[in-house]
Amino acid sequence: MWEQLQLFGVFLKSSALAVGGLASLPLLRADLVPHYLSDAGIVQALAVGRLSPGPNGLYIVSLGYLVAGWTGALYALIAASLAPLAMLPATALARRWLLSPWFAGLVRGVTLATVGLLFATGATIVQAGGTALWQVALVLATVVVTVQGRLHPATMIVVGGIVGLVLGR
Amino acid sequence: MRIVRSPPSSRALARAWFDIGTQSVGGGTSTLFMIRRILVERTGWITLREFTEAWAMSQLSPGIHLVALAGLLGRRIAGPRGVIVSVAGMMVPAAVITALATAFLGEIAQQPLTIAALAGIGPVAGGMTIGLALTMAQPVLQRGRLAALDVIVIAIAFGVLLGGFAGTLVVIVLAGAFGAVALGRERPTSGRAPLS
Repeated sequence: MWEQLQLFGVFLKSSALAVGGLASLPLLRADLVPHYLSDAGIVQALAVGRLSPGPNGLYIVSLGYLVAGWTGALYALIAASLAPLAMLPATALARRWLLSPWFAGLVRGVTLATVGLLFATGATIVQAGGTALWQVALVLATVVVTVQGRLHPATMIVVGGIVGLVLGR
Repeated sequence: MRIVRSPPSSRALARAWFDIGTQSVGGGTSTLFMIRRILVERTGWITLREFTEAWAMSQLSPGIHLVALAGLLGRRIAGPRGVIVSVAGMMVPAAVITALATAFLGEIAQQPLTIAALAGIGPVAGGMTIGLALTMAQPVLQRGRLAALDVIVIAIAFGVLLGGFAGTLVVIVLAGAFGAVALGRERPTSGRAPLS
């Protein structure tokens, strides 16, 4: 029971402290790898999250499933659904606060820190997956495509899978 | 003054969010476009102005912004019932498909072909994460000398995590406190309205 509560706490914390769905990744990775999961599991969850319907942040449900089956998926779903709803009382009660400079600064600070944490997490995932020349080329191509934002996000997952089938054996 | 509208049935509302949740792969702009088309243009449950305002507020939310958007729009459309129906309608079917896909991948994960494909998907997942970091940095970075301060915060967070000096939680909380004191010169996401 305690273990289960802890797991739910991990998902809720990562959602509550992240600005945006995928921004929870550094927090989740820090809590789950290597005790519950390997970096290969993180890659699988990110890929499934991109390929299946719904918001990107739903990769957290995939992580939940990998860690603790359907129970884990349910915890992750509840945590990911609850945290953003904090905005409902906030917009009703503290609208003026939300538009104040200090709150804007807080969001900026958290966002900037998250950027740094995401860089570090991305680098770790790359390293764990292997750094053959073709893999590094895939990393660079994906960074460019992601920043440009013109190709559909799922496309690169498919491209990566095909390149892997050809060169990864 | 807002025209009084009779709120839709839970079934119709759940159906709308089910469509939004299951037909938009990968989230992002395509999902926003679909929400606008269904809730503003097709059903008229929400005005364009309400949509734009809810979107701006949702960008400040913790976690998945789309969930906050679904909650805010659901409340507008049908009160507390609308919140539950909208969020569940968007999240539950998509989550079930996501978990099933994970289970399926787990079944075939040890096959040589899957291992080879994942060797190519790993770098993509890493590249996506780095690309996301760059995309997130763009709208919040300030210009001129103040940009140096922003870059320092990013660099410290990066170094602290890679070096293992402190946990991610500590980094985020400290950066938030620092931001509230020193970085609040402009609103973070003010300028960009969605698809208007």
